[in-house]
Amino acid sequence: MVNGKLYEIIIEPRMLLVDVLRERMGLTGTKYACGTGDCGACTVLVDGKPILSCLTLAVTVRDKNILTIEGIADGNTLHPLQQAFIDNGAVQCGFCIPGMVLSAKALLEENPLPTRNEIQAGLAGNLCRCTGYVKVIDAVQAAAETAGKGGKI
Amino acid sequence: MHRVLLPFEFFEPKTIEEAVHLLDTGNAKVMAGGVDLVLKMRLRLISPEYVISLLKVPGLDYIEGNPAGLRLGALATIRQVELSQVVQKNWTILYDAVRQIASVQVKTMGTMVGNLCVATPASDISPALYVLGAKVKIAGVNYEKVIPIENFFVAVGNTILESNEIVTDILIPSLSPGARGAFMKLAKTAEDIAKVNTAVMVTITDNICTEAKIALGSVAPTPIRVTGAEELLTGQKLDGAHIARAAEAAAEAVKPITDIRSSAGYRKEMVSVLVKDALLKATSSGRV
Repeated sequence: MVNGKLYEIIIEPRMLLVDVLRERMGLTGTKYACGTGDCGACTVLVDGKPILSCLTLAVTVRDKNILTIEGIADGNTLHPLQQAFIDNGAVQCGFCIPGMVLSAKALLEENPLPTRNEIQAGLAGNLCRCTGYVKVIDAVQAAAETAGKGGKI
Repeated sequence: MHRVLLPFEFFEPKTIEEAVHLLDTGNAKVMAGGVDLVLKMRLRLISPEYVISLLKVPGLDYIEGNPAGLRLGALATIRQVELSQVVQKNWTILYDAVRQIASVQVKTMGTMVGNLCVATPASDISPALYVLGAKVKIAGVNYEKVIPIENFFVAVGNTILESNEIVTDILIPSLSPGARGAFMKLAKTAEDIAKVNTAVMVTITDNICTEAKIALGSVAPTPIRVTGAEELLTGQKLDGAHIARAAEAAAEAVKPITDIRSSAGYRKEMVSVLVKDALLKATSSGRV
């Protein structure tokens, strides 16, 4: 299941999850960058937990719930984290953002009101090479506060 | 770096017994979290014909802590251990070591056992397990054995494991009442792999150190204990002078290499700083 939708495709065991998502399912929001597990651009959530799709054999998650960036908005309504990233200007080239948002989502589900240090630790596996991290952390904090006032994450 | 892996046959045994029999068939590799295996396959450092996944063996992700000790199953992830209340409360050195591994994604995928089997000298987990007196349980075709963690590593990337053996458990004993420890790491950034790391454990009875263990990572092909430095602490009152002397002895005992992360000389100096700080932290905190 990817983003709540069941896909029936034939894959080889050697296929990486990032390639199956991007090339077989057309879900190109998941980015491929370092390929070595350092940058976090390929992060997706498997049963709610953040993993690196560039180091995951797709076959190993065939019976799991996978969430990619395409699956987090509610129709045309952005997810509170997406909205908070926009509102806080937490984006420049955008390549790292899908992974950032998904890592942040996993963090807020585990810890709904994290401190800035806890946000830093939660996003330590996601690198941004252009704008930096301050606004990203602002955005996650803002989304957590929105959720605390009755919004949902 | 290759985007596409070379073809292999993929097996998902349901038991450890089945898994070791499959591993016995030839050019086969065992996979748990896959972080290191898939990366090495992408780099084409290894090209197994058969990949044996443990992910479908039920019930291997246990973290069982009781007064006798802590038992970690082959599929217990680094993240599970980090979040475990039992580990946080009773095996703080181990918690301090795993929480310094930065990437949540890597900790979520990677297993504790996998970290050991990768046998990187920079593992943050290994020095903690050295001073905790951990053992690993190994399953082969029709046998099991338990060996001390200090006998597990052979060289960089190499352990005593035969190609048809699997580590099924990490066994960590409970600590004696007077035991106190600390883990410390020095790296370029908080996310990076250690230039030097250390775990220390001292047992103090009536203000006298009755046992001392000092383990170091990233300064030799495998994690090491510095027994000469440990002996300088045993039987002594752990004041600043004794701690400083042991830290110097630890630095003199190591022969690190120069690589992309640090020079040999800097590593040697930092061994004395880290060991001193870790011993001071351990003796002042009273934590284990």
